Amino acid sequence: MKMSNSINQEIGTRRDEKYRHIYVVIEHFEGQVVPVSLEMLGEARRLMDDFNQKYQLREKVVAVLLGSDVRKLCDELVTYGADAVIYANHDELKYPRNDIDTRVIVQIAMDAKITKEIEPEYAGTFVKPRYMFFAADNIGRHLSSTVLADLESGLASDINKLVISDLDIRHEHKTKGQTVRYEKILEMYRPDFSGFLWTTILCLDNKNPEIQREYHPQGCSIIPGAFKPIDKDDSRDGTVVEYSPKIDQEPKIKIIKRSVIEKTIDYETCKIVVSMGRGIKDNPEQNIKLIEEFAELLGAEIGITLPLSKKPYQVSQSMDSKYMSPDRVIGTSGSKISPTLYVAIGLSGAVQHIAGMKESEIVISINIDENSPIVDESDIFIKGRMEDVIPKLVEKIKDQMQAISVRST
Amino acid sequence: MLNVGVIIKLEPDFSEGNVSYNSDGTLNRAETKNILGPHSAIACNAAFYCKVKYGARISIGTMGPPIAESALKQAQVLTDAEELNLYSDRLFAGADTLATAEVLKNGVEKMFGADKMDIVFSGHRASDGETGQTGPQTAWKLGYTFLGNVMDFDIDLDRKVIVAKRLISLQGMDTIIEEIECPLPVFITIDPSYKSAFSTVSQRLGANKYSKQGRKKSENYAQFLKTYDSQKLDLDPKLVGLPGSPTIVYRVERIPRAKTNRKTAIIDPSNPDNLTPVVTKIIEIARGK
Ligand SMILES: Cc1cc2nc3c(=O)[nH]c(=O)nc-3n(C[C@H](O)[C@H](O)[C@H](O)COP(=O)(O)OP(=O)(O)OC[C@H]3O[C@@H](n4cnc5c(N)ncnc54)[C@H](O)[C@@H]3O)c2cc1C
Ligand SMILES: Nc1ncnc2c1ncn2[C@@H]1O[C@H](COP(=O)(O)O)[C@@H](O)[C@H]1O
Repeated sequence: MKMSNSINQEIGTRRDEKYRHIYVVIEHFEGQVVPVSLEMLGEARRLMDDFNQKYQLREKVVAVLLGSDVRKLCDELVTYGADAVIYANHDELKYPRNDIDTRVIVQIAMDAKITKEIEPEYAGTFVKPRYMFFAADNIGRHLSSTVLADLESGLASDINKLVISDLDIRHEHKTKGQTVRYEKILEMYRPDFSGFLWTTILCLDNKNPEIQREYHPQGCSIIPGAFKPIDKDDSRDGTVVEYSPKIDQEPKIKIIKRSVIEKTIDYETCKIVVSMGRGIKDNPEQNIKLIEEFAELLGAEIGITLPLSKKPYQVSQSMDSKYMSPDRVIGTSGSKISPTLYVAIGLSGAVQHIAGMKESEIVISINIDENSPIVDESDIFIKGRMEDVIPKLVEKIKDQMQAISVRST
Repeated sequence: MLNVGVIIKLEPDFSEGNVSYNSDGTLNRAETKNILGPHSAIACNAAFYCKVKYGARISIGTMGPPIAESALKQAQVLTDAEELNLYSDRLFAGADTLATAEVLKNGVEKMFGADKMDIVFSGHRASDGETGQTGPQTAWKLGYTFLGNVMDFDIDLDRKVIVAKRLISLQGMDTIIEEIECPLPVFITIDPSYKSAFSTVSQRLGANKYSKQGRKKSENYAQFLKTYDSQKLDLDPKLVGLPGSPTIVYRVERIPRAKTNRKTAIIDPSNPDNLTPVVTKIIEIARGK
């Protein structure tokens, strides 16, 4: 009994003012803001508007931007929803490098002085950001890890839905088995490996007096393409603040060369994409050949689901190196495409896959299972085995094409 | 001689035929076999490459229950490791990545009797669903320079410097290969595209020799195994397991199907005539109308 009193008292007296704002770590590339950064700003904007209304507060969406010549990108971030931009210009920050970027971002996150220019009302109590967003990509995934390791707080990866709420939590360790109200908690939704289950992850202070500890910011990395940016609004106001980073030690990582690799597959300009998934399993080699023939006939490019990139089947080496490779993955871990026609063959339509193809104009699927979620994302669903359906389609296409060309000559 | 560490993980085997699902489509963990994770195996290959090419002692570490020994054994086959370390304690259970990294940091610091490490490798991410956060968080706690997405590397033994190629691909942007240089020690998460190639005859002979040796050693892997609990690792119990984890899993639910604007026509292909309109549509698009 005594226990629960002391916990509740502690909640009642803490005004929760040490932690403020959503910090969004921006990525840019060759002078352009990377799309996922604008998507994160959009989601942060929506969350913060509701948050401020609900709690009668004036917390901000703060974009954090590092580079060597990035002042020119700041205004764009404001038009896409940032209330404030903290940017650091330094020659050493030209390209992303984990060691130095982590130090500078941590400096910015811990700097109470700079928050005075963002929201003077809270500057006196500011200790750390309340929430922090990163992109779940090659750069952000690792940067979020090292930044949160340094700030000693929690991080959830690959998130595609966010909600802020007050929750009554009862947890063996966090609350010593008592029910305790946590306020302003970020519910971070993460689709699992199957793409059909959502796990909600929370980053919570330990309120159990024996292991008491505060965990802020509540951090996450966000899947590219999961959220929509807000409409660009040139009339939005925002504060742009320059931060002078303390770079006292020379960065260990030296960049010698950066070279662009030509994309071998161009999904952007091709009208038709034919994708295959684990449904090829009964006879992988033969099925890939079928799909190859079908795609060639239509002048289509071939895509795959993530599991196929992990080479789960034995197929001939040339097929393996041609098709089962990561640069053909459609979805959040690969390309996001919007062809005129998308043909989904033997794939179930996991959320991560749908995110990559839902902008297609017309979707045709071939699948044995009417309950696969890909049904909902299809205009035409051909219910059958690919082994039977594709040969029929190929034959009919050949016939019709011939008929058309005969007529036109 | 380099001191090379690898942190590895025992994971459910997701390859075809080995994975078992419950009727609701979720993974049946009890039925599914556990193996050395595929990305951990790639990290092992990179360590083995160091052994063949530059001469290295290899130490493998994993945090997990006692059955994780089997992953250490598999890793020894791949690397001819001199040392296998199991970090196992009931206090570690339920750890999120921050609490896992805390254990692994102290584990790496004790490799080879606390000799200094030159390189530590981790996998890109655990099987399908995991986070990819453990490596960089361990690196940061160790104070080693972290290099992510490394596809290829070379070491200059005299200068104690690594030259590495990294893959940078951001959605919607060109893919970049970045060549970097960095003094040792470094912590590397190895990119899935990494391939260790032994180009010279003497390297191929060396690879053969160490492979054989590794297989042999692994038959008596227990001889090479050291087991550590939280005390032996000098860990603060408040920083590991559930108490040391900022995050919790609050809820697991089915993802509701997304609402779409598409009106799905379901077609039965057993009557080929049903396919005619589909084919007409496909040809129309292929011809650019
Ligand atoms: C962080 C993260 C990121 C991810 N990113 C991606 C991503 O970018 N892209 C991606 O695709 N996945 C991604 N995934 C994986 C995703 O969650 C699913 O696991 C994956 O998309 C499933 O692939 P699938 O549809 O090929 O296989 P399954 O889900 O196994 O589906 C196979 C389908 O084939 C059908 N089928 C079987 N036999 C036949 C037959 N003979 N003829 C016709 N149909 C048949 C079945 O009915 C079933 O619908 C990611 C997962 C995580 C955790
Ligand atoms: N319990 C663990 N013990 C040792 N290494 C681990 C452990 N968990 C994760 N790792 C390493 O970190 C990589 C990424 O795992 P994860 O962060 O879980 O996706 C794995 O491929 C391993 O190399």
